[in-house]
Amino acid sequence: MSRCDFKIVLLGSEHVGKTSLVLRFVNCRFNSGTPYQNTIGAAFCAKTMHSNGKDLNIGIWDTAGSERYEAMTRMYYRGAHAAIICYDPCCASSWARLRHWLAELRTVEEDCKVYLCGTKKDLLDTNSTREVPEDIIATYSQGLNGHYLTSSKTGENVEELFQKIVDDCVADRDLMQKVEESRVQLAKEQEKDKSYCLC
Amino acid sequence: MDDVLDEVVSSEDLEKFEKVFHEQLHQGNVTHKAQFEYAWCLVRSKYATDIRKGILLLKELFNSHAEGKRDYLFYLAIGNARIKEYNKALHYIKRFLEIEPTNQQVLALERQINKRMETEGLVGMAVAGGAVLALGGLVGLGIALASRK
Repeated sequence: MSRCDFKIVLLGSEHVGKTSLVLRFVNCRFNSGTPYQNTIGAAFCAKTMHSNGKDLNIGIWDTAGSERYEAMTRMYYRGAHAAIICYDPCCASSWARLRHWLAELRTVEEDCKVYLCGTKKDLLDTNSTREVPEDIIATYSQGLNGHYLTSSKTGENVEELFQKIVDDCVADRDLMQKVEESRVQLAKEQEKDKSYCLC
Repeated sequence: MDDVLDEVVSSEDLEKFEKVFHEQLHQGNVTHKAQFEYAWCLVRSKYATDIRKGILLLKELFNSHAEGKRDYLFYLAIGNARIKEYNKALHYIKRFLEIEPTNQQVLALERQINKRMETEGLVGMAVAGGAVLALGGLVGLGIALASRK
């Protein structure tokens, strides 16, 4: 059993496509046949990634966007190394809540790396009207660690977004030191468990 | 592994939602929200007594508040799985899937529970097997001692 090296949390208003983004990234698929299901509480997914010659386990907490769960989903921000704040460029109300999500995150996890993610790029490229102006997004994302426009349907930029996060985390010396320490700790615990095992 | 069946609520969070619930209880008017949030913390506790208390609160909600049924069924399944009441957990999953047959979160939880039942079943058998071996050894020793007389 291996613990996750990096914890990534996804946040954003409901219906922007957080779960679709995670499922595209983890399973490399998009299921257009499945009806919309709003996430209950928070869902967890894991994937192994490579960066700078290292294998790293990524744990992703996909939180529910529905306001009903808000008080609870905040608990999942704790200990996050990176956060992806999602919005839908064709839905002004999903952008309006952005400041709110960022403030929420900062109160809980000050040092967390933050990435902005505009979802449903395929719709934006075809027939939907952009409701969030690009210059506003550009200004806003300057203070953050990155901005990506993704499509979970085609897979465009999804891998790139997660790879950038992992590369940034690996480049962070303090963070990597903690990762190494917790790996050593985990190995010790497993060794201890082994000696107690009956079989 | 860090997943929905293993993650543990922090004691500050549990206390925070417990306080809200108890204040409302004291005033004689507990909202569904407060009860659900407290129960959600309880079923993620590391203590079985907390989890059982959470399960009771969720059952009560399930019977009184139709709107949140899918949430209550989901956390009833999680709570029961965490105290290894796997059959009960699978029962709640079945009821959930009757409402939403393709829910990915619930299907994933079902797979996780089945996997646990499988591995823990094997571990149980291995322990039982070890006991049989030990017993066999004792009997053998007894026979050997008896035959030496």
